[in-house]
Amino acid sequence: MELLRSLTIGQYVPRASPVHRLDPRTKILATTVLVVVVFLVRDFRGLGVFAAFLAAAVALSQVPAGFALRGLRPIWFLLLLTLVLQVFFGGSSGGTVLWRLGPFAATREGLVQGLFVTARLVLLVVSTSLLTFTTSPVELADGMERLLNPFRRLGVPAHELAMMMTIALRFIPTLVEETEKIMKAQMARGADLDTGGPLRRARALVPILVPLFVSAFRRADELAVAMEARGYRGGEGRTRMKQLRYRAQDLWAGLVVLGASALVLWSGRI
Amino acid sequence: MSDPVVVCEGLTHVYLRGTPFESVALRGVDLVVRRGECLGLVGPTGSGKSTLVQHFNGLLRPTEGRVWVDGVEIRPGTALVREVRRKVGLLFQYPEHQLFEATVFDDVAFGPRNLGLDPEEVQERVRESLQWVGLDPDRFGPRSPFSLSGGEMRRVAIAGVLAMRPQVLVLDEPTAGLDPEGRREILSRVRELHRKARLTVVLISHSMDDVARLCQRVVVLHRGQVFLDAPVREAFAQADRLRSIGLDVPRATDVLLRLKAAGLPVRCDRLTVEEVCEEIVRVLQGNQRWSSSEA
Repeated sequence: MELLRSLTIGQYVPRASPVHRLDPRTKILATTVLVVVVFLVRDFRGLGVFAAFLAAAVALSQVPAGFALRGLRPIWFLLLLTLVLQVFFGGSSGGTVLWRLGPFAATREGLVQGLFVTARLVLLVVSTSLLTFTTSPVELADGMERLLNPFRRLGVPAHELAMMMTIALRFIPTLVEETEKIMKAQMARGADLDTGGPLRRARALVPILVPLFVSAFRRADELAVAMEARGYRGGEGRTRMKQLRYRAQDLWAGLVVLGASALVLWSGRI
Repeated sequence: MSDPVVVCEGLTHVYLRGTPFESVALRGVDLVVRRGECLGLVGPTGSGKSTLVQHFNGLLRPTEGRVWVDGVEIRPGTALVREVRRKVGLLFQYPEHQLFEATVFDDVAFGPRNLGLDPEEVQERVRESLQWVGLDPDRFGPRSPFSLSGGEMRRVAIAGVLAMRPQVLVLDEPTAGLDPEGRREILSRVRELHRKARLTVVLISHSMDDVARLCQRVVVLHRGQVFLDAPVREAFAQADRLRSIGLDVPRATDVLLRLKAAGLPVRCDRLTVEEVCEEIVRVLQGNQRWSSSEA
C-alpha cells in the first residue's frame, strides 16, 4: 500500500552536501551536458570513466547509493527488454552465434551491444535522478525559469512554465497521498483492486479515479483563489526572496564536469 | 457485553522503513476494544490514531506485534482480510471525498455489491442504512451525491460503511469541518447506532465534548504510545496530564475546575452540561443549608 516507497524519481533528498549547495542552473546545465555525453560515448572504456565520475558525484552528494539506484526499479522491465532485444537483434547479421531460440539467434555482438545500451540507460537514469535528489523542486523551477528567461523574446513563457512545473511537482505527493486514502476507503467498503481480468480491474479503478479527479479540481480551484488573494498576476515585475547567484564553486563544478566529459569522450581514442 | 472484539498486542508501525523518510507511527501499543462499548480515541495531531485504526481492518499490517479481530489474527491472506473488512467498518476523515457514483443509492450500494449480495438484499441494506443516518431513501436515493450539503454527503458516506453491516464502526473525526447542526445530527446518529443497533463504536475525535457525551472509555495516544486508558470520568479527572500533551477536558468539566480553583467544593468528575448544572446546584444548595443552619 505504500505507494510513496516506489516513487524515488523526482524525489528530493535533503542533505547539506557540496552538490546540494550548487546553483540549480549549474546542476541543470551539467546534467544536460552529461546526458549528451552519455549518448556520444562509443565504447565501454568511456562508459567506465563516466560511471566512475558519476559514482564520485553520488558519493559527494551524500545520497545513499542504494537509494540512488532505487530509481531504476520502475524501469527494470524496460532495461531487461532492451537487453533481450539487443542480444537477439542488436548485432548485424552474420555475427558469432552463441545460441539459438527458434528462428532467433543470439549473437556475441548482440550481447555486447545489449550490455552497452543497458549500461548507457542506467547511467542516464542515475545522472538525471542525481539532479532531482540534490535539487529541491522550487530551486529546480527557479533555475529553469532563469535559464529560459533569455528566450522570452522568442515567445517562450518562461515564468508560466516554471510555475506550472512547481505546482505539478508540489502536488505529486499530495495526489499520491490522496489516491492512497481513497483506495483505502474503497477497500474498506470491500473494493477488490487486484483480482480479476483486465476489464474488471479497469472498472475497479472508477471508484478511485472519480473522487481523485473531483478532489484535484477542487484543489486547483482553491489554489487559484489562494494565489489571486495574495496578489499573483503572473511573472511580470515579480521579485524573489532567494536570488540565484553563481559562485566560485559553480565555476569549479562546471570545469570538473567539462573535464570529466572530455576525458570520457577521449578515453576511447587513446 | 465485555468480550474483546479487537485486540492489539505490542503493535508497532513504521512508515517507509529503510528510506530516508522512515518514521515510527506506533510503538508497542496494547489495546482492547470490548464488544458493545463506545471507545473514544484521542491524542494530539500525529499521535498515531489514524494509523492505529487502519490496523483494525487489515488496511495496514503491523511492522511488529499482533492484531486480532473477533478472535482471529489478521495475517496477510486475502480471504481472511476481506472477512475482517466486513466486520470492521472504517470511516476515514472527510469520507465525503470517497463518493463517486451517479446516485446516492448506487454509492451506498457499492459495499453490499462488492459482497456479491443479490439485488433485493442490496436494496434492503441501502434503504436501512440511509434510514439509520436519517436520510429518506426515496427522496435522497436517486439524487447525485455531489448535489448534497457537506453534512448530508458525510451521512451518505457513513451509510456506505453501514451497508456492510459491520460489528465495529470506527469513525475518524466524523464531525470535522461540519456546522453545529451537522455535528449534532451525526453525533446523535452515532449514539443511536451504538445504543439501538448495538454497534461497537470507536470514535476518534479532537472534541472532548463529543467524547464525553458518547464514550464510556477513553484511550489517549501520544507519540505512538498509549498515554492513558481509563473510563471516561477517570480520564477527564486528570486535566493536568491531558493538558501537558496539548489536549483538554470537556468544556463543562472546565467550568467545574475553575469553580474549584475559586474555592467552591465541587466534584470535578462531571462531564456534560446537565451533570455540571446539577453539581453546581447541589453545592450551592448545600452551602445555603449550611449557612441557614448556622444562622
